[in-house]
Amino acid sequence: MTALLGYFGILLALVSAVALGLLGLRGVRDAERVNAASLRNAVIGLVAGGALAMLALEVGLLADDFSVAYIADNSATTTPFFYKVATAWAALEGSIVLWGLVLAVFTLTIYLRYYRSRQPDPLWIGALGVMGLISVFFFGIMATIANPFQVCVEAATTGCFASSNLPWAASMAPLQGLGPNPLLQNHPLMAVHPPLLYVGYVGMSVPFAFAISALIRGESGDAWLRRTRSWTLVAWSFLTAGIVIGGLWSYEVLGWGGYWAWDPVENASFMPWLVATAFIHSSVVQERRGMLQAWNFVLVIATFSLTILGTFLTRSGVIASVHSFTQSPIGPALLWFLTLVLVGSLSLFATRVHLVASSPRLNSLASREGVFLFNNLLLTVFAFVVLIGTLYPMFVEAFTGSQLGVGRPFFDRLAIPLSFALLLAMGLGPITPYRAARASVVWERIRTPLRVALAVGAGAVLLGYRNIYVVLGVLTGTFIIGVIVRQLWASARRAAANEGTPVWRSVGRVMRSDPGYWGGQIAHVGVAILAMGIAISANQGVESQLTLEPGQTAEFAGHELTYVTDFSRQEPNRSVLGARVEVRRQSKVVAVLEPSLNQYARSNQPVASPAVDTSLRGDLYLSLTSIGGDRISLDVFWFPFVWLIWFGGLLAAAGGLYPRMVRKRSAVPAQAREANQDA
Amino acid sequence: MPDGMRGVIAGLITVALAAIVVVGIAVGDQSPQNRAQALGSRIKCPVCQGEAIVDSPSETATAMMEIVAEQVDQGRTDDQILEFFRARYGDGILLDPPFRGRTLALWLLPVGAVAAGIILILRRRQSPLVEAPASPELGEPT
Repeated sequence: MTALLGYFGILLALVSAVALGLLGLRGVRDAERVNAASLRNAVIGLVAGGALAMLALEVGLLADDFSVAYIADNSATTTPFFYKVATAWAALEGSIVLWGLVLAVFTLTIYLRYYRSRQPDPLWIGALGVMGLISVFFFGIMATIANPFQVCVEAATTGCFASSNLPWAASMAPLQGLGPNPLLQNHPLMAVHPPLLYVGYVGMSVPFAFAISALIRGESGDAWLRRTRSWTLVAWSFLTAGIVIGGLWSYEVLGWGGYWAWDPVENASFMPWLVATAFIHSSVVQERRGMLQAWNFVLVIATFSLTILGTFLTRSGVIASVHSFTQSPIGPALLWFLTLVLVGSLSLFATRVHLVASSPRLNSLASREGVFLFNNLLLTVFAFVVLIGTLYPMFVEAFTGSQLGVGRPFFDRLAIPLSFALLLAMGLGPITPYRAARASVVWERIRTPLRVALAVGAGAVLLGYRNIYVVLGVLTGTFIIGVIVRQLWASARRAAANEGTPVWRSVGRVMRSDPGYWGGQIAHVGVAILAMGIAISANQGVESQLTLEPGQTAEFAGHELTYVTDFSRQEPNRSVLGARVEVRRQSKVVAVLEPSLNQYARSNQPVASPAVDTSLRGDLYLSLTSIGGDRISLDVFWFPFVWLIWFGGLLAAAGGLYPRMVRKRSAVPAQAREANQDA
Repeated sequence: MPDGMRGVIAGLITVALAAIVVVGIAVGDQSPQNRAQALGSRIKCPVCQGEAIVDSPSETATAMMEIVAEQVDQGRTDDQILEFFRARYGDGILLDPPFRGRTLALWLLPVGAVAAGIILILRRRQSPLVEAPASPELGEPT
């Protein structure tokens, strides 16, 4: 029953997507040719179908309906409620259901805003059509090669032995399912990370859809950019938060003490982030100065293509081995779709670009536009570096059969200088005037922050920090934040003088008067904090291995660690075997940590679950490597100021949402916004 | 105090602070605190998926880390230690691709991309300049 309902939802969404795509193609030339009711029905069908599929999957999971193969293979009766819900997107087929639903909801938001405008506009209809065509692909593979509602026709003792694609096939449900992948049920963040990332990924298809619609129409101007700005920012914020939460999950679960390894799956999410960030900045240049019109089309096509490439890398098995991705038909399908998107949109771009783009030239490199160009160059080169570092070994292996290692050293070597250059641009860009900047104006705005930053840098040196990345990281971060704070203070003082109110009261009003600009600055502060956190924790961290017997105490990085006793606990879905370790600082017990090894039914290897004591000064991180025979072995780490990374990353994400939160609350007069444009 | 004098003092302080930073970095020991770990991050764990031996909890990686630590204690150089592993496992064991042979392109492509980008930006600028209207908003609005 679950399978039938869910599969019906997929088919409904698929048919609606086809209809929406056809309506879009028809209406992109002339909006009058599209019947309003048909358009509405297609959108409703898409959303209803996607929601029904997700609902059926969730109901099936919660009801332990093991006649559905996906549920038998990825859930169990003993799986806790929370992880049952999250299992809907934990494995391949389910994750595509989530993708489809998010895509449908984004389509609905486009439709609703269009409906409220009450004006037939072919640009919008074309965009809805493109969203429909993208949906055809995703619901198409759900209906065929990635069917989440395959029926189990031959049960194994646990899990499903053989399944059928036909939802009405006579089912044979196993008594027990396999349960989720141990790593995915070891920490609640894993339930949050994929939806955040997917909203980010899929949200990027909205500006893409409008761009394609504008290209088909040969419509010049920045209508497509302005209309999609809020979607782009929301998608960017979710993508940022998704990546940060992914890093936090890796840190909290995997037990190696790191949060970022430059592995292909991480790179897959970072590449679209870099290009989307470039796009957000260059679209400001087009809106303000009319420049970079063609470039913005390239960036939005690249962003969307990279989200598809990311899905391909994560979901096709190409990473495990170049030759394994054809084992499942999903890999080739995604690769074909990517090719289609690239060839289709780039040839459309090539034939239409003369109609849509006629940019004025740059007056001077020493201007806001100049810094924006520099920023775009750095971000796209960064994305390119990550792209070739990820794909190069795969190509070499595919064509020569020999293995090639490209890892952290390669990426670090290129990413560190690129990041510092980007931070420099971030410090100078927002206070550099448009058109042509006089050095005296820029100097006036950075003088004080520069001195403060140098003082902080010198202070770090005098305190004994000599590592170049730590000192320069703290100095640059302070500089960026200082420039922004000074700018805000100066604007607030000006506003206060005009209105005769106290300065501190004007701060909020100034920020609300130009939410786009100040949202950007919040994001910049977040990135500066994140960069400082990375520089400090990566270079001032300490690691050691300890072997302890009960009652024994060891000294580590200003802490005394005492192994008290071992413990074990039986939980419905796992057995936990751990060690209780008392942590003392200056002879005072500050924490009792319980790193453990968790054994899940599904796997032979226990999953190490690290225990972390977080304080403002840093994290004490214990990871159990072995236990038994009256002794334990621990990997212990001390990472100063790691929380800056999570805090900075989430602050950056919040910056992207700031304009939306402000505009929701108050309609801002355009006049007020103009006042700050030169800032 | 006259304004000129104040400026000179502020400038001197700025230079002094910058000097402290530069000297501090210059005299500081920039080599990694833990050589074995730095080397471990450049060697791939042969039984894992693209993980370095320093990051992997697997037995193979742990054993390899022990070899690295031993050789560091014996005073062998970084190159000697990396070569030791390369000779046994082949080029694929190094996560830090060398600047030669098959991986040359990997290093040259990003440089090429930067060069292409800079040329593109400069060409956009060299076209006939449109005189920007002298606008009052260019000044410091404070």
